[in-house]
Amino acid sequence: MAFDLFNPTETHLTFRQMIRQFVEREVEPQAEAHDHGEQFNQGLFRKLGELGLHGVTVPERFGGSGMDAVAAVIAHEELAASDPGFCLAYLAHSMLFVNNLAINGNDEQRQRFLPGACDGTLIGGMCMSEPDAGTDVMGMSTTAKKDGDDYILNGRKMWITNGAISDTDLGDVFLVYAHTGEKHQRSISLFLVEKGMEGFSLGQKIKGKLGMRASTTAELVFEDVRVPSKNLVGLEGGAVKSMMRNLALERLTLAAMSLGIARRCVEIMNSYAQDRKAFGQPLNRFGQIQRHIAESYAEYMAGRSYVYQVAQNLALDAYGQRIDSDGVKLYCSVMAKNVADRAIQTLGGYGYVSEYKVERLWRDAKLLEIGGGTIEAHQKNMTRDLTGLEKLL
Amino acid sequence: MKILTTVKRVTDPDMKVKIKPDGSGIVTDGVEYKMNSFDEYGVEEAIKLKEAHGGEVVVVSVGPKAATKEIRTALAMGADRGILIETDEDLDSDAVARLLAEVVKAEAPEVVLMGKQAVDSDRNQAGQMLASYLGYPQATFAYSLEVADGWATVGREVDGGTSTKRVKLPAIVTADLRLNEPRYASLPGIIKAKRKPLDTKSPSDLGVDITNKVNVLKFEAPPARAAGQIVDSVDALIEKLRDEAKAL
Ligand SMILES: Cc1cc2nc3c(=O)[nH]c(=O)nc-3n(C[C@H](O)[C@H](O)[C@H](O)COP(=O)(O)OP(=O)(O)OC[C@H]3O[C@@H](n4cnc5c(N)ncnc54)[C@H](O)[C@@H]3O)c2cc1C
Repeated sequence: MAFDLFNPTETHLTFRQMIRQFVEREVEPQAEAHDHGEQFNQGLFRKLGELGLHGVTVPERFGGSGMDAVAAVIAHEELAASDPGFCLAYLAHSMLFVNNLAINGNDEQRQRFLPGACDGTLIGGMCMSEPDAGTDVMGMSTTAKKDGDDYILNGRKMWITNGAISDTDLGDVFLVYAHTGEKHQRSISLFLVEKGMEGFSLGQKIKGKLGMRASTTAELVFEDVRVPSKNLVGLEGGAVKSMMRNLALERLTLAAMSLGIARRCVEIMNSYAQDRKAFGQPLNRFGQIQRHIAESYAEYMAGRSYVYQVAQNLALDAYGQRIDSDGVKLYCSVMAKNVADRAIQTLGGYGYVSEYKVERLWRDAKLLEIGGGTIEAHQKNMTRDLTGLEKLL
Repeated sequence: MKILTTVKRVTDPDMKVKIKPDGSGIVTDGVEYKMNSFDEYGVEEAIKLKEAHGGEVVVVSVGPKAATKEIRTALAMGADRGILIETDEDLDSDAVARLLAEVVKAEAPEVVLMGKQAVDSDRNQAGQMLASYLGYPQATFAYSLEVADGWATVGREVDGGTSTKRVKLPAIVTADLRLNEPRYASLPGIIKAKRKPLDTKSPSDLGVDITNKVNVLKFEAPPARAAGQIVDSVDALIEKLRDEAKAL
């Protein structure tokens, strides 16, 4: 068979086609309504569990499918081509919670949470950002103080995807980062916090988001929450590494979402420009429209090649793969937003309304320049990593 | 119980069909291939029979090397082993039926489950021809299937309603859309499918001459439809149907 960067094995190809079929039949028909109503589709989320998607990177003995970063990228690319909002909820669960715990947790914790998280009966999320600290992660002010065999958690977390599953209900379980030492010491620890723990509550479900409206975003409140030490993930004070390790996969899969958005926008503008006529010709005979279509396609393929190249080489348990996981997200998030913008432009007035989907994709694309690290944060990180490098091998 | 089920690799039925300028076929550049959707119902029913009665599901495809992908999909859904009869020729239904007849003779399944037709050419012939080459009873357009004591009871979609047919096994059953809801190949299923056996045979291994009896001469697009009209009342509609369309 010819070399296929995007489907390196037959398993990857079959997996992609399975998801694509599922997406066409079950995801696409519900996307617009859930965007419009700002609602998370829990039933559909459960179905992803039946397909083995939640545990895509989790070892088989914990209920997962034991696949690699490429498979995770394929899943996000395909889901986001139809419903980026729903895909973001999937990402926050399967990458930020499930994969995070699978890599950084111990066997007892994996046994306790992963089977339910892989089949989709438990909905998880990850809490890093706070009302007063986003890009400046180390500036977080949530604390966990040791008290006998427990930790007492205090603080607020902001922008937490899957934090609420409805206006009033919390998600089930969260990986929460908190200081366990003095603020300047970089001694951050990671805790499993479960719905039902006393003092853990929903601050607010955030409404009125520009895009990604099919995923929920919430502020979560921790008031003297007593967390047993068996819920400490990894070593006390040792969570910065696990955070960085998981961020690499988060950024890679967010970039994969951008690819799905871009592909869909290219498809839509390409077919519209053949059907729609002006001045007696199809739109795609006009040079300015040709530029929109051709540049979008080329940029999409460039981003796609970069993402799959990085995915091939991303070891799920390794640390220090930052420059290219930042790089793919920096390039692809901007690329997808531009491609969605050109798609709207190509469709004219029809591009500006929901029926042709590109306006929703454009709104969703914008978030990828912010969530999981802003593009400015990627620029900062990458330049720091490049400093001192004389040659690029 | 041994069940044999067939899958065909077809062009995506949802694509816009473009005919080659010389009319020799359709343009297949940039076209996706899929498992024939009626075959998905056949595969699902075969797996359900196995789940209820035990046994083995053998999945067979006639087609190019790339059709291993459709076979693997059926294996990922839960079939046990695959056979590809590899050919790059575009065969007529008769040649396909004669190839399948040899496989059925060798495998001796109790039930053969097929899609009622393939969504690329929509010929709706292979199942019926296979039954007649084998001298087996057939029940086409199945919307329900029960198997007990060497007989199959098949609910069938027929013009103007439904009918029920009892056939003695072994028999050929072809699936219609209401038969079941095909499952998706799950990711763990896809991984397991890699380890399941898949044999490849050629038409000559089976001793079958695949020269087509039916040849396609030319593809042509149907004439473009004239633009419609919007009328403002039922009366106006009736008048137009009577006077202009002469349909009443
Ligand atoms: C829909 C949505 C879902 C999210 N889901 C989650 C989640 O599940 N879990 C989670 O923990 N977080 C989540 N986030 C939070 C997200 O990661 C943060 O919004 C992001 O990191 C930016 O932080 P901030 O909003 O506090 O912005 P700030 O950090 O305040 O940044 C504001 C602006 O200043 C710029 N800036 C900041 N510092 C610098 C600098 N040093 N140099 C140059 N420019 C700088 C930024 O780039 C940005 O343009 C989500 C956010 C959204 C909107």
